[in-house]
Amino acid sequence: MMTHLHTPAVAVHDLRKSFFDEERGEVTAVDGISFEALPGEVFGLLGANGAGKTTTLRMLSTVLTPSSGSATVMGHDVVKEGERVRRNLGFHSASTALYPRLTARETLEFFARINGYPEERLNARVDQLVDRFAIREYEHGRIEKLSSGMKQKVSIARTIAHDPPVLIFDEPTVGLDVMNAIEMVKVVNELKAEGKAILYSSHIMSEVEKLCDRIGILHRGRLLALGTLDELREATGEHYLEDIFVTYVTERAGTADAVPGIFGEPGTPPAS
Amino acid sequence: MKLRAVGTLYRHELRSSLRERTIVINGILIPIFMYPLLLWGMFTAITFVEGLNEGFTSRLAITGQLPAMHTAMRDSLHALDGVEVLTEIEGDLDAALARGELDAIVALAPLPESPVPGNFRVELIHDRTETRSTNARDRVEALVERYRAGWLAELGRDLGLDAADQQIFTVRTENISSARDVTQQLLGMMLSIFLIIMVAIGCFLPAIDTTAGERERSTWETLMTVGVDRGSIVMAKYLHVATLGILAGALNVIALMVSIGSVLRPLLVDSDLTLDVALSPLAALVMIAAAVILALTFAAAMMVVASFARSFKDGQAMVTPIFYLVFLPILLGGEATDASLSTNSALVPLLNVSMMIRDAIRGIYIWDAIAITAAVSLALVTLLLLLARRVLAFEEFLTGSFDGSFWRFARERLFARG
Repeated sequence: MMTHLHTPAVAVHDLRKSFFDEERGEVTAVDGISFEALPGEVFGLLGANGAGKTTTLRMLSTVLTPSSGSATVMGHDVVKEGERVRRNLGFHSASTALYPRLTARETLEFFARINGYPEERLNARVDQLVDRFAIREYEHGRIEKLSSGMKQKVSIARTIAHDPPVLIFDEPTVGLDVMNAIEMVKVVNELKAEGKAILYSSHIMSEVEKLCDRIGILHRGRLLALGTLDELREATGEHYLEDIFVTYVTERAGTADAVPGIFGEPGTPPAS
Repeated sequence: MKLRAVGTLYRHELRSSLRERTIVINGILIPIFMYPLLLWGMFTAITFVEGLNEGFTSRLAITGQLPAMHTAMRDSLHALDGVEVLTEIEGDLDAALARGELDAIVALAPLPESPVPGNFRVELIHDRTETRSTNARDRVEALVERYRAGWLAELGRDLGLDAADQQIFTVRTENISSARDVTQQLLGMMLSIFLIIMVAIGCFLPAIDTTAGERERSTWETLMTVGVDRGSIVMAKYLHVATLGILAGALNVIALMVSIGSVLRPLLVDSDLTLDVALSPLAALVMIAAAVILALTFAAAMMVVASFARSFKDGQAMVTPIFYLVFLPILLGGEATDASLSTNSALVPLLNVSMMIRDAIRGIYIWDAIAITAAVSLALVTLLLLLARRVLAFEEFLTGSFDGSFWRFARERLFARG
């Protein structure tokens, strides 16, 4: 799909999500965040466990409905046009496993077909993915019989099987060994080069440093800061992302709006 | 809902299910091989037990005397195949019988007061809890019966009576039901029960696998992020579970017919029971309709309940009560095996289908009651699907909340105020 490079592929405005919990009552998991992601950009969401990263990404993938605010994917509203949003999206997370009883090839065929990839080009697309991810050797092997590295390759291939313009990777390297994690980072860079808009969530600082063009620091549902790595360095005076993150989370949580040049207050549009 | 998407998802679900060993065993292999194996096992066991009993030697103790004219009977007892008369037992015979050292005591007692010359009584003391003892009693009893028949025949001949005259009053029975009637009665009893159970078995594991299993394997969210509407996903899952239920039911019916024709009939050659396995096309059609109704009902009910489970094991525990509920109408129907479907009984779900099957096999079609059965079943299925749709509308359900509890969901969502 052709997209203008300056038209946001993902636009999030004042997005909020509250849950009702029988014991805790109303719980706000995401508290009015706003950001945009452009085609050919890797946008990183950095935060500790429970910061609201997964909830945000689940709202964007239409698994969850926002309590308020709005979000669009390729111009389609996540609440009103769920099916169109999902067709333009590849969602990969620890909770999106593969079907163990299907073969690698069947998996790719199924996800390409169900996401509306044209039937006449489907076989060629699957072959292309099989070659790109070096799956040929075990393309007819059942997923349940594959190693975790092989599964990882098939999982990424199935995420992009229908060639969506927007990709979401939620903690994609969790549980992977070093080699597979490096491979994952390489693939994300390739996809970025192809012009995909990528939302990448992680709590691993080195990954985010290497991969992301812009970074949003999320803490307790609030976006404390947003900018390029250099902008964040400048704003905090810290060099390493780990230190930058700690600075925001421990010292400036709740006062992020005080940091010059950095978008941080929930509800404020992103800095352009 | 999009038919193309439903078709793609349906094939995907079916392929996945048919690659799961437990689903194939429960939904395909058991319905096919249950009857032949059951019948074969039953007859083998009976033959084995009979052979075992025949192989036992019955140990007898004989007390008392017979009138002189009946010494032949005493000789026959000693010469009886499989019988050993023990003569050297010390102490109390009853105690020896209780200890298992003896199988039966044959107490002979002449009846000198009887108007029949040479009359006597045989008293058989045995232990009914012991197979060997019961067997010994049967052997002696049969010998005495034969001896008495021979003696009476001899007396009759002396009086100039032939065998028929000796009987005096006779009873002759005639069965007007045909072999087909007998088969239909047998099929009616078996199929109305087994079809329901088999369809339920056919739906049981796929319903859990496609909901709780999906959640356990972490593929729920994968599926929820594909580019189709949720209605298509639910419909494909539902149709796939119902298909496997119908498949189990259909295979079971075919297996039963083949078993009766090929396994049971040869085994009954020595009995006076003749079977004629033939089902009219209309009866077959009604049974297919019944299997479809049952599968649609079970699939909806089981999926709704299993959807709340967090794991396959949870799902099994939650759906099992539905499985037991299936037996309730069967038990009710079983109380009235001769009753036909009526407009009243047609109002009771499952019982109505059970009776409809039984009637169809017997060639009875009460169409207004069948129409009510179809309407009641359709209403039940619609209600269950509406509930499923309502349940799916809650996102907490998709993310596996409510601690796997339907009741917590009902309390927090269905009955919550405001």
